[in-house]
Amino acid sequence: MTKILFSDKLDNCVERWKSAGLTVIGPVQRANISTYAAVEHAAELDLGLILTDRSIKDLFFPQSEPMLRYTIKKESIDTDECLPPSGPRIIFGARPCDSSGMAIDDPLFGWDYKDEYWFQRRNESVIVTIACTKADDFCMCTSLKMAPDSSKGSDVLLRPLAGGKGWVVEEVTDRGREAFKTITDILQESSDTAAPLAVVEKKFDLDSCVTWLQNPENFESRFWKEISMRCIGCASCTFLCPTCHCFDIQDEGDTYTGIRRKNWDSCSFALFTMHTSGHNPRSTQSARWRQRIMHKFNYFPGKFSVNSCSGCGRCSRQCPVDMGITETLQEISKLSQ
Amino acid sequence: MKIVGRHDEAPGVRTMRLEFQDAADHEFFKETYRTGMFGLYGVYGEGESTFCVASPETRKDYIECTFRQSGRVTSALANADIGDLITFRGPYGNRFPIEEFHGKNLLFISGGIALPPTRSVIWSCLDQREKFGKVTIVYGARTVADLVYKHELEEWQERSDVDLVLTVDPGGESPDWKNRIGFVPTVLEEAAPSPDNCIAVICGPPIMIKFTLISLKKLGFDESNVYTTLENRMKCGLGKCGRCNVGSVYVCKEGPVFTAAEVARMPASDL
Repeated sequence: MTKILFSDKLDNCVERWKSAGLTVIGPVQRANISTYAAVEHAAELDLGLILTDRSIKDLFFPQSEPMLRYTIKKESIDTDECLPPSGPRIIFGARPCDSSGMAIDDPLFGWDYKDEYWFQRRNESVIVTIACTKADDFCMCTSLKMAPDSSKGSDVLLRPLAGGKGWVVEEVTDRGREAFKTITDILQESSDTAAPLAVVEKKFDLDSCVTWLQNPENFESRFWKEISMRCIGCASCTFLCPTCHCFDIQDEGDTYTGIRRKNWDSCSFALFTMHTSGHNPRSTQSARWRQRIMHKFNYFPGKFSVNSCSGCGRCSRQCPVDMGITETLQEISKLSQ
Repeated sequence: MKIVGRHDEAPGVRTMRLEFQDAADHEFFKETYRTGMFGLYGVYGEGESTFCVASPETRKDYIECTFRQSGRVTSALANADIGDLITFRGPYGNRFPIEEFHGKNLLFISGGIALPPTRSVIWSCLDQREKFGKVTIVYGARTVADLVYKHELEEWQERSDVDLVLTVDPGGESPDWKNRIGFVPTVLEEAAPSPDNCIAVICGPPIMIKFTLISLKKLGFDESNVYTTLENRMKCGLGKCGRCNVGSVYVCKEGPVFTAAEVARMPASDL
């Protein structure tokens, strides 16, 4: 017997969580883009999507957020630190690649200086992940040694029942157990079993790619120029990526009052590394694409023992010129044979 | 921090002296600052820029920074007047291991606007001159006007315990220029300082560093006795914003001070 959450009871759960003070967030359609947003009713959730266009990162590391407000006075400057609006929340219906992406970035934001913006949101969020029974050609979690039912980064993992009438509940963390206590009486014991998981074809051999990337000789390979020739440097891949975390700090305001903001930035942009003198360590698009791949599969794992990629495939799925991590690593796989 | 002094070093290049407004902040700075570290200097409404702390660890009552007026933030800093308040975050990064230089000869090599980080090491050593051997400074700029810290160059030139070699690029000399004419690596090879028991500290534009490293090798310097500081673009200073890395090395956390041996292990085309 397993614990089951039936789909027709989901609205009761949403009500229950809301009255327990949680903001309920999930995948929704907004202005022709699928994204995660707060909902009032279960009917607003779009749980049939393979994956939202935008990643779950938006909820933990927004595109732009104020860090402090300043007011310049005659003899002094007043500053107010802006922490994110706080409040517990439950994210219902994340995909395993998105949830694990957040766990991947934890060591980065916790390294040395603990980023309070990130961790406040992490600590106040319960992530309920739904395992995938559908995948598309861009999905590549299995190539990253993950699976359509990875529970990494999730507080609760739900496995869809055949026929879409509900989910088998697996509580992963104490935080998940706590959030599901409020709906214990809504869950039902049943012998129903989970539907088969999505079949995600393995697209490259990660270990041989990593070995190739770690070889200093390959840093200067012609391959980088060839593979990135089409890149237009639009940064869509980095912005949609659940694990890309680079940011800029900019001031916005008039002479006397304003806001210092943290905004997403991207290694795809030439300005990202440009010195004042005009010298640019990564002056070509191929050097920038190499940086992105090296960072994800060589530098980041070297520091934090985990690849900075969860295999969601958004970079390839939404690239305007059909590039992406999948194609690059497939080519590297071939080179390394 | 409050601007308590400022003066122009060269066209578009300014030095500012800053004093802490908060005693606890000053105390923290005194406890943590070591030569080689950097900070993020800012003006509200314009943003922050990264420069080294140009004043040495032997003088911690204030912070001095030297910058070229170039973009939005540096223009705002240049427009700030004595008495105005600016922001400072830091000190960040690692340092020059000056105790390890005790008893050794020192060779400082610098070009243009890169004298400030070198100057911080120079004064850290000159302020305890007895602990070091021979001190040689090779400094060059594009033109005579572009030489920074002119008053200190005069002071070093007059000191008998400092050997100063000044040069300007060919065509950058003025009619009354009495020093060398030539690029820093060439002038360095002509001066031919001995590598014996000698530590070299080089700071300059990437192109100068590249050729100076070759010259130092010719002169017989071991890469582990050559130090430099990599001044990459930075935003956070905390190892998170993702832009200052050269290969797997985060300059803001593991640098900015590296030995030439460490730099040699970095991917050259990413420098």
